[in-house]
Amino acid sequence: MFRLVEETGFTKVRSAVVPRFRFRKAATQASAEAFGVKAVVMTALKPAEA
Amino acid sequence: MTEPAEIPASLEGVLKDEILRMYQEVADNPDSEFHFYHGREAAELFEYDAEWLARAPGGAVDSFAGVGNPHLRSRLQPGETVLDLGSGAGLDSIIASWQVGPAGNVIGLDLNPSMCLKAQAHAASTGARLDCRTGSMENIPLPDASVDVVLSNGVINLSFRKRRVLEELYRVLKPGGRMSIADIVSAKQLSQSIVNDPKLWAS
Repeated sequence: MFRLVEETGFTKVRSAVVPRFRFRKAATQASAEAFGVKAVVMTALKPAEA
Repeated sequence: MTEPAEIPASLEGVLKDEILRMYQEVADNPDSEFHFYHGREAAELFEYDAEWLARAPGGAVDSFAGVGNPHLRSRLQPGETVLDLGSGAGLDSIIASWQVGPAGNVIGLDLNPSMCLKAQAHAASTGARLDCRTGSMENIPLPDASVDVVLSNGVINLSFRKRRVLEELYRVLKPGGRMSIADIVSAKQLSQSIVNDPKLWAS
């Protein structure tokens, strides 16, 4: 999604992993880890001259 | 996170129905167990301010279904106009309303009209101001360049058309506006079996 945000025209795109995010059920968490699923907080700006 | 190449309209419709069903279930039966953390347990996990959680209405806290804390980096200022994309039961909107104050505005957007009513009732019970609109994140019912900040929490990942959603966010933000979104991303392309399963996608 980081790339999509940049391609849309946003600048100063920043992303940080939510360290304590996890799924409640172990099987879901295992599947999520297999796909590299994680939660992030992303910030971005719309340029002032847009 | 890439866009699935071809999404049949029928599948997208089924997905939206499943999203409505699942998050209505969280709101109606917050004591149930879901495979994601929700309610106060989730909000505390994501380091929501204890003072906020004590002050917010219990129904908004109990139905919280976010995946992180977009407030940590939102830097909301008094007087700003905020869009809470996928406002659900209203916890993030209410917190935003406290931060922008009486000179500011918070607009919620949710696919589910009953969730909008619930969020507005929760906001009113704390004296917070919330204007909740029913609509989809792919066609945001707001004018161009009308908001200062977009907040969102665990919502954009639910859309099959993420590029379209981001284009809409860009459109409604004022020049110089910003967004702070918490969401789920995946390092690998999800399998077609997941893409084609509305229950998995919606969760």
